[in-house]
Amino acid sequence: MNLSFISGIFSLVLGIGYTIVAFGLEKAAIGRPLEPRIFPVMLGGALIILSIVMIAKEIAKGEVKQKTEKDTEKKRSNLVRILLTALLSVIYAFLFDRVGYVISTVLFLEGVLWVFNGIEKWKTNTIVALVFSLFIYILFAKLLGVYLPMTPGIWI
Amino acid sequence: MGSIEFLLQGFTVALEPIHIIFVTMGGVLGTLIGMLPGLGPATGVAVLLPLTFTMGPTASLITMGGIYYGAMYGGSRASILINTPGDGAAVAATFDGYPMTLNGEAEAALAISAIASFIGGIIATIFMVLVAAPVSRFALKFGPSEYFMLFLFALSATSSMSKGRRLQGFVSMIIGLMIATVGIDGQSGIKRFTFGILELQNGIDFLVVIIAVYALGEVFKSFKNIDEGTKKAQTKFGRIWISKSQWKRCWAPILRSSPIGFLIGALPGAGGTMASLMCYNNEKQMSNDPDKFGKGAIEGVAAPEAANNAASVGAMIPMLTLGIPGSGTTAVMMGALLMLGLKPGPMLFQQQATVVWGLIASMFIGNVILAVLNIPLAGLFVRVLSVPPKVLYPIVLGLAFVGTFAIGYSVMDFYILIIFGLLGLFLSNAKIPLTPMILAVIVGNDMEQSFRRALRISDGDFSVLLRSPLSISLFCLTIAFIAYPMIRAWIAKMRSSKQSS
Repeated sequence: MNLSFISGIFSLVLGIGYTIVAFGLEKAAIGRPLEPRIFPVMLGGALIILSIVMIAKEIAKGEVKQKTEKDTEKKRSNLVRILLTALLSVIYAFLFDRVGYVISTVLFLEGVLWVFNGIEKWKTNTIVALVFSLFIYILFAKLLGVYLPMTPGIWI
Repeated sequence: MGSIEFLLQGFTVALEPIHIIFVTMGGVLGTLIGMLPGLGPATGVAVLLPLTFTMGPTASLITMGGIYYGAMYGGSRASILINTPGDGAAVAATFDGYPMTLNGEAEAALAISAIASFIGGIIATIFMVLVAAPVSRFALKFGPSEYFMLFLFALSATSSMSKGRRLQGFVSMIIGLMIATVGIDGQSGIKRFTFGILELQNGIDFLVVIIAVYALGEVFKSFKNIDEGTKKAQTKFGRIWISKSQWKRCWAPILRSSPIGFLIGALPGAGGTMASLMCYNNEKQMSNDPDKFGKGAIEGVAAPEAANNAASVGAMIPMLTLGIPGSGTTAVMMGALLMLGLKPGPMLFQQQATVVWGLIASMFIGNVILAVLNIPLAGLFVRVLSVPPKVLYPIVLGLAFVGTFAIGYSVMDFYILIIFGLLGLFLSNAKIPLTPMILAVIVGNDMEQSFRRALRISDGDFSVLLRSPLSISLFCLTIAFIAYPMIRAWIAKMRSSKQSS
């Protein structure tokens, strides 16, 4: 199972799911009743055909070479770091308008810098996180007039 | 009023002090971002976009233009000094630029890349002045079926440019069009693919998708080589300039490569990467001494650098005149224009002449400023290369989030951002090119609308799409683009089987 094969399956599933939903779309009350469906159905059909060709090509090509153990280990540690970053981003999204821009961003950057830069460099990490958050807040909220959520009870 | 009068009027706009400040600021920031490995002009514009939100259309466009070609200037710095191109368009600069650095000629390489970029940019901007208005007047004649065919052509061309992965290119394009169908249908008011989620009713903002793919996706991808550490770049330089004999070798390649780069840039799908590689190979073939290419030939830096800057200007033509972006970066710029309430396309030149010609004029000024900044200050700029990526990528992430928030003031967009960032990572790991998807997300809505408008005119008869000579020729071009590589492969197969038998 390589990634090209998985992506073929992924787009096939996406194509089928999308087409089913497209056929179930409401009818338009004004104009031609089926009009909102035509384009999506065409897209869904095209994706199904393309992904079947893609899967067929992958199968015809046969199994690709085995990967070494070192590769998979590196891949796993990458995946862990990617998922950690994504998880931190979700937490950030949750905190963003609850605790305000500056505090949530400092926490988020501390976390992400920990993933990227390691915990030993906590001094650099903290300085970067603090300076970035305050700089962006002052630049956007104070100078450019872009609204950013404030921390309840404090001036920033 | 002819183009020249409009251009002069544009200069009065572009020469306002505030606009000069903005184009310089954009150019410098773009240069810095373009230098970072893996981050090219598309990421640069996407990440710095929120800075321009409150500026107003003219200033915003001028700043983004500055970021765009600033990143083109910057991309080659890293190629020359540490053999790490910022993006595809800067790859060709590594072939001879890095060997020049190893030979102790970094000064000449940096100087010629800035000079070639400058000349390429100026020549291309002159072409743009000549071509833009006629193209937009021609495009005014397009009806809905012609537009639909044009969209189909542009997207198919982009998808089939994905070398060796054409099928994946088309998959990417369809996924992009699908993303564009999410939300309330503007014509019937029906909710499509919203799955009962309130925030999806307004559709998925293409700017969020762009930031997700070009900023978050790149950050996720960076984990792969983040542990390799920073390469030490040379930071002490002699006088950054070239000798007379070096200039003699370079002027002809620069003048040849600029128009080629411009033309390739204006084609959908073929951007700076293809332009610079093609011009590099051209010069190698035309050279009396092709063996010295790859070992530090100065022409080998001049040609691709002129070509990719010319291409970056050329790429703006279909975006501004037809509303069809031909590259990732112009797609980002078009997204930003739409957000500012300007609709790129033929009407833009009619209704917003000051904005467009202000941009074109500022491209002359910006190129001069960047050339002036990039030659003496090269030593200063390249210090950015010594900031460890482990600190830079988290900052890019922070900018991506604040930019996303500034687009819609909605935290819901953060979740969309994360999902599409992961999707972008998955697709690019599966070797599915992402540019077709980005272009499709941006033009998808217009494409569907023109399709439906055409069908409404004909009362549901599909043959309306192929009634005018123009739409027939566009359709034939599309078919040719899709079929040509297949036919070529088939002929090659026939030949080889004939030979073996």
